Amino acid sequence: MPVRKLTALALYTTLSLTVYAVESMIPPLIPIPGIKLGLANIITLVVLRRYSPGDACLVLTARILLSSLLFGQAVSLLYSLAGGAFSLLAMYLTGRLLGRKMSFLTGAMGGLTHNLGQLLTALVLTATPGVLAYLPFLALSGILTGLFTGLAAAFSERLLPSHMRH
Amino acid sequence: MKKKSTRGAVLIGIFLLMVSAVSLWYILVPRERASGYIADLYQEGKLILSIPLSAVPEAYTFTVTGSDGCKNQVEVRPGSIGIVSADCPDKLCVRQGFLSDSVLPVTCLPNRLVIRLRPAALPSENDQEAVDIITY
Repeated sequence: MPVRKLTALALYTTLSLTVYAVESMIPPLIPIPGIKLGLANIITLVVLRRYSPGDACLVLTARILLSSLLFGQAVSLLYSLAGGAFSLLAMYLTGRLLGRKMSFLTGAMGGLTHNLGQLLTALVLTATPGVLAYLPFLALSGILTGLFTGLAAAFSERLLPSHMRH
Repeated sequence: MKKKSTRGAVLIGIFLLMVSAVSLWYILVPRERASGYIADLYQEGKLILSIPLSAVPEAYTFTVTGSDGCKNQVEVRPGSIGIVSADCPDKLCVRQGFLSDSVLPVTCLPNRLVIRLRPAALPSENDQEAVDIITY
């Protein structure tokens, strides 16, 4: 990997870690586990659009590992990894279908699948089918916050300096 | 190529709208209230305790300890149940408040503890779960 790209990706990782840290200061408005804004996904989406799925996966994995090391607990790592893997795959496929347009749809698919991945993890970890009662809440919140992060990714992509791409 | 991506966008939009609509419908449509509920406490998927809430004369608390040492203090009141304190970092289970109907469970993910109410008339909560899985 060229030094220029390595530096840029490291910068993106720092950015998304910062966004994640700021978001974790906001107290949860709705006391349902898993409902959050998911602002750090903005950066993942920007990297996915500017670089490649592999690079987005690198940045995402680094951010998740660092954030659970710095702020989280061991359990939240599993949830984040499952949600992140699901949403990255979904956003990559949606992005391939739609191209660069309609980023809000890509974001919404990412948000939805992120929450589905987390709910599946919760289902496996608690082994209680009762947690499926959260499904409609998580699906709706994932779509709504995903619409927003998708739009935010498209807007912030315009504002980021053009040398932060390859 | 342009046509293909437009059709994809419409399909994805319709899919997302349908998921949202079904979720909203599920959230907003009120379930009929049963006359009495039984609280089921599950830890790592195993039913550890069932408390008929209508038969609780006055409030009391007890502590549930998880396999990795997490503790949740559960308070039972006549007709409702909730987690009042926990040693996990985010305390989401405490913020979920007291349960008095069977719409949502109270969950503590670090402790893998789920508290769910079921109408006292229903013999087994597994039948109820099966319906939820099929409709989704």
